[in-house]
Amino acid sequence: MKLSKIWLMLILSMVLVLAACSGNNTNTTGNDNNNNNDNEVNDDNNNEENNNEDPSGPQSGGRITAGMYSAPGHQFNPIFYSDTYEANILSFTHDTLLKLNEEFLYEPHMAKDYEVNEDNTAITYYLHENLKWQDGEPLTANDVYFTYASLADPDYVAAGGVRTDYVRFLKGYEEFNTGATDVFEGVEVVNDYEVTFHFAEPNITPEFRTNFIIIPAHIFEGVAVKDMVDHPASRDGGEVIGSGPFKLDSFIEGEQYILSRFEDYWAGAPYLEGITWRVIDQSIMPGMLENGDLDMIAEPGGVPSADYERVDGLDNITTFLTQAFAYQYMGIKHHHRTTEDVEAGAINPDNWVVNEKVQDKRVRQAMMYAINRQAIVDGLLNGLGSVLHAPFPEASWAYDENSFSIYDYNPEKAKELLDEAGYKDTNDDGFREDPAGNEWVLNLDYPTGNQVRERSAPIIVDELAAVGIKVEMRSPRDAGTHFDIVEKDNTDWDLYLAGWSLATGDPDPAGIWKVDSGFNYIRWIDEHSDELIEKAVTAPDAFDIDFRAEVYNEWTAYVTEEVPMIFLYSQDNIYAYNSALQNVKEMPTGIYQDPHLWWLQQ
Amino acid sequence: MHKYITRRILQFIPMLFFITVIVFGLAKAAPGDVLSGEKLDPNIPHEVYEMRREALGLNDPIPVQYWNWLSSVATGDFGTSMQYSGRPVIDLINARIMNTIYLSLFALAVTLAVAIPIGIYSAQKKYSLFDYGATTFAFLGLATPNFFAGLIAIYIFAFTLGWFPAQGSTTTVGLTGIELFLDKLKHLVLPGFTLGLASTAAYMRYMRTEILEVKGSDFIRTAQAKGLSNQSVLYKHTLRNALIPIITLLGLEFGTLLSGAIITERVFNYPGIGTLFINAIQNRDYPVIMAINLILAVTILAGNLLADIFYAIVDPRIRYD
Repeated sequence: MKLSKIWLMLILSMVLVLAACSGNNTNTTGNDNNNNNDNEVNDDNNNEENNNEDPSGPQSGGRITAGMYSAPGHQFNPIFYSDTYEANILSFTHDTLLKLNEEFLYEPHMAKDYEVNEDNTAITYYLHENLKWQDGEPLTANDVYFTYASLADPDYVAAGGVRTDYVRFLKGYEEFNTGATDVFEGVEVVNDYEVTFHFAEPNITPEFRTNFIIIPAHIFEGVAVKDMVDHPASRDGGEVIGSGPFKLDSFIEGEQYILSRFEDYWAGAPYLEGITWRVIDQSIMPGMLENGDLDMIAEPGGVPSADYERVDGLDNITTFLTQAFAYQYMGIKHHHRTTEDVEAGAINPDNWVVNEKVQDKRVRQAMMYAINRQAIVDGLLNGLGSVLHAPFPEASWAYDENSFSIYDYNPEKAKELLDEAGYKDTNDDGFREDPAGNEWVLNLDYPTGNQVRERSAPIIVDELAAVGIKVEMRSPRDAGTHFDIVEKDNTDWDLYLAGWSLATGDPDPAGIWKVDSGFNYIRWIDEHSDELIEKAVTAPDAFDIDFRAEVYNEWTAYVTEEVPMIFLYSQDNIYAYNSALQNVKEMPTGIYQDPHLWWLQQ
Repeated sequence: MHKYITRRILQFIPMLFFITVIVFGLAKAAPGDVLSGEKLDPNIPHEVYEMRREALGLNDPIPVQYWNWLSSVATGDFGTSMQYSGRPVIDLINARIMNTIYLSLFALAVTLAVAIPIGIYSAQKKYSLFDYGATTFAFLGLATPNFFAGLIAIYIFAFTLGWFPAQGSTTTVGLTGIELFLDKLKHLVLPGFTLGLASTAAYMRYMRTEILEVKGSDFIRTAQAKGLSNQSVLYKHTLRNALIPIITLLGLEFGTLLSGAIITERVFNYPGIGTLFINAIQNRDYPVIMAINLILAVTILAGNLLADIFYAIVDPRIRYD
């Protein structure tokens, strides 16, 4: 115990010295500074070894075994894949035109350069000339056209595709999607290495909208989009062709997915011979890391926070923590949809029925003060997470901690606010009544499945009770059922627990927060919020990222003032990999960038 | 006999029909479908999911959905999975069913190989130290949760001793012939024993009780009176009769042969029908749920029928007509 403390001190001081030396670098990232330091402290001594430059340079060869907790669904065609396990494999086998850097800004990747025209209606990509598919064919602008034409195809959604967001803003989408024309105007092939996307309207996020994974035209040409889903090149090992650094050679369904290096990868042949993905049970993951059966555990899920200490203590393993792109919240049903609307699947805010119990914003603020969110992070997540203040990743340019008020645990303040709002205990039962003196009970519903979330429910109920808010905790439901009811607006729901993922490509919160969005599960109606969300993506001001950042700060300030939902916490992603594996880029988005540069110290 | 079998098989048809109606009804009665839940990506417009729902036919009235399912099954088409992006259900099952059969057979072999000899010996040495020891052991097996036993087995035999692989059903791709067979066998040992030992208790107790019962009957006394050796009495007379109830149990076991063992499969990541089934239920993947259910229903009914037929063969007192 004592020894490890000394170690910690030593490392801490080293980190401080290092941080001081590279002061410029770390300070520019602003508030995510603290996080970074924490990570390095947690990394124990392995990190030092990693930092030592090996004079002999990268060595070629070796194969690593990576683990995931569930089998992919076997759709290896990027335009149709649907689960994160498939995404895991696709991030090694396929490639995109651009990549995201540490600040969530786009950088050239397969495109050596790109330019956006003056009014943001077109973006032109200049491709590297040595791009190759894994079967040796060259990758050209024609493949880019083919990918987007497939996404825009009339049969695409019926065949199982959901990624129409990459094409619906492009010029000529309607005409092409309805089958009126055979040529998709939105993507123009200038020559083999130059391709221009044309938008119907000036687009604020042209990079984001045009950075989908490219699929090979020469493989799928002549295959109807609805037949692509079951095409061997979408399903079978050895048949799937991408342009990424590793090729999916073969697999044993549900067990192993064997990737081997693609020698002609445009950015240089990968050092590693290959990566074997194994499906493993989470409970024995630490043991497998320890005895060397497993070299890497990353997405999705990573190392569970309960196992962190054990894994971090392993001598042969390096760990890396970063905020997950997901958060947990307690939803507040501001309104309920009518039964008719639910049956018709309509989202029509004019018809919504107001939920009087939660209309006073002071009540919602009081709940924010009453819940000890830091204690949930410390107690249930072993401190491996952070209290969520705003619905943006902390590393994002849209997040600025100085722009909004932060609610610290303060039950006294909560009581004051409730008193002020007129919610007082008039019949001495220990719970407050509403301003009219009627009984005031909020229902809380929550799903099973996520252990931390399940365990947080009774804590929240207790803490709200402590300030006099009577919350009736219902029996938890199976997740599928819970979320179905969340969506269908059962009218006696007031509070519920749920989670959302955070956008990495672009921070635009419209998907969840716009009043008429189907994902506005809290059924919050607020014109000002909508205006700000619109404003942040309205041309031409929004071409300027600083302008957008400012509007998002304003929006965050407004949302944290109104408290439409109770933000709870965001769990850390914990990645672990064999310390012999070198050159792993630890990014806020994960560790998968540039795997062709990974190499094994042998 | 033939008449009896034909009649039983004909009875299957309405039975299967009712089973599917009930299962479909129950599955649909639970709220939510494959497109509800947390995995929805808020960056994809909600309307796209609505379009998917429409395309999958999830918005049709339930009787219509049932009819669509039934009519395609009647033509031998089990449809495509909703969760696994349109993969034919039959593919998903084919990829796993052999694993499940291997595991079930291995586990059954373990169960019988352990339970029958111990059962016999316990009966012979009634109330001996061995008898009590065996009973304790059997009930310990019954009482230990499979995941716990599995983890212990992995810790001891895979991590510490390194004798057997901890996860999966094969080491790598490209194995053939005897190599593949041995590799598969090696992977079966831990999950097979975990699963098999857990159910020894029932067989052991049955075996013991039956032998004690048969031993007390008149014909055994007659055999002993004739001066037959103990061995001969045991194997020729006692055992034959005592095995009859075991056949009933085996008939029922036949049905569960294909259902897989969800927990054991999970712990050892042994890809089989059990994991597929539980995943399908969690994700409301109706085509997969229905297909597996149908297969289970058929095998359980067939198992019962087989047990009845064997009964008639081994026990001349039973006659069907």
